[in-house]
Amino acid sequence: MSFTIPIGPYHPALEEPFKLEVTCQGDIVQDAAMHVKVNFRGVEWLAQRRNYSQAIALVERVCGICSHLHTMTFCRAVEQLAGLSVPARAQYIRVIIAELERLTSHALWAGVAAEVIGFQTMFMTCFGLREDLMDILEIISGNRVHYAMNCIGGVNRDISNPEAVLEIVRSIRQKIEEKLIPIFTTDRTIRARCIGIGVLTKETAINWGVVGPTARASGLTTDIRRSAPYAAYDQLEFKVPVETSGDVFSRVVVRLLEMVESCRMIEQAFKQMEPGPIRGPEFVEVPPGETVARSEAPRGEAFYYVASDGSDVPMRVKIRTPTLVNMPVLKFMVLGANLADVPLINASIDPCYSCTSR
Amino acid sequence: MDKGEEILSRLSLGRSWEKRSDGWWLETRDMDLEKMAHVMIESKARLVTMTAHEDSNGEVRIIYHWDLEGRMLNTVAMTDKGSIPSIAMVYPASDWMEREIHEYFAVQFYGRESSPLYLNPGDSPGIFLGSAADRKKGKET
Repeated sequence: MSFTIPIGPYHPALEEPFKLEVTCQGDIVQDAAMHVKVNFRGVEWLAQRRNYSQAIALVERVCGICSHLHTMTFCRAVEQLAGLSVPARAQYIRVIIAELERLTSHALWAGVAAEVIGFQTMFMTCFGLREDLMDILEIISGNRVHYAMNCIGGVNRDISNPEAVLEIVRSIRQKIEEKLIPIFTTDRTIRARCIGIGVLTKETAINWGVVGPTARASGLTTDIRRSAPYAAYDQLEFKVPVETSGDVFSRVVVRLLEMVESCRMIEQAFKQMEPGPIRGPEFVEVPPGETVARSEAPRGEAFYYVASDGSDVPMRVKIRTPTLVNMPVLKFMVLGANLADVPLINASIDPCYSCTSR
Repeated sequence: MDKGEEILSRLSLGRSWEKRSDGWWLETRDMDLEKMAHVMIESKARLVTMTAHEDSNGEVRIIYHWDLEGRMLNTVAMTDKGSIPSIAMVYPASDWMEREIHEYFAVQFYGRESSPLYLNPGDSPGIFLGSAADRKKGKET
């Protein structure tokens, strides 16, 4: 006899609301259905009732973890519409914050995954690392979560003490290479819980348009920083880690290797960026038109469509977050899995319901 | 031949791409959407998302945003009396996108056989409809 178990909308492993209903035969999952948008906030609708500057503060609230990414992508879309160019130093600063944000996000994710696995000391290690990262962001921006760094035409703040930031980044890189990667990849409990679990095949990932580390753990090479470079990414050397097994372990490995690459990119950016202005000419108006902009968020590609009718209020703002395209494949990942593995499989795509509901 | 041009020739529309800095755009009312989805998949283009917004004549303009090796291909279609063919049976990635557009603009996607046309069962379709009318209020405040 099969039975259906409702998980959520308040979830035992993740604090954001969504509902997963799994149908099981014994402990084995046979089917799954999802309900999202339990906490719909209408950010797109609201953005169409705020002027462009106000909309920046609004889209920053789409997500508390990748907030910089959202303001950067929105600003890039508006800059394209207005024909504004962004100074080189501002482009590097955007990259530095974006990569610090990726590190923060991946450290948070690794901590959550460790907790779901039952590895409390690793959870504390990851969150300790995340504290260091949030300290850097506070040094730069004054804020630990919503950094308010982006404005149309550049950034709001310069990085006045790069050596202090670099010193912490180097120490973080050392911790990732000497603690996180060895423990996550060799610990027997982690390997037992992650290898061969929650497999997403490359074919399913393609059919469902999956993005980010979830796609790259299934053999896809998609990364907007590489395929459609923006800001200063075309000036930096970096690897795009790809794994082919498509299981939870592959998603762990991809994110850990990405953390090292993020540190490398930050170090390169500091080395390469030269003194100069951080904002272009004053933003005056946005002519009628429409455009799209994309960025590689920690969870994958984020997409913005902005249309203008020439007024100071956007006519249409469309936001497609990575979780919205990654979530649907969860039902394939949990098929045939043990019920006890469902929370970990769910966590392995690093879902953000705040982004999804927006 | 460039892959984007090859896609266009396979769509047999007798039009050309509008090449912009943010990607290539194609606006047409006579596109066979199912064929477009097949051609895009066979060309290894990825559906990034679908954008919808109200047109001045009461219909909904729907843009299919595709990624072709890093280049954006944007194909634009229009609903007919609020309806448009679904491509979810051809390309599963569009499933949630169509459901979200139904929730926001009450667009009826016909030809779908699988999932219900909503993401949250508590929502009424069309929550964004008519929103253009009160948009200027935001500008005044």
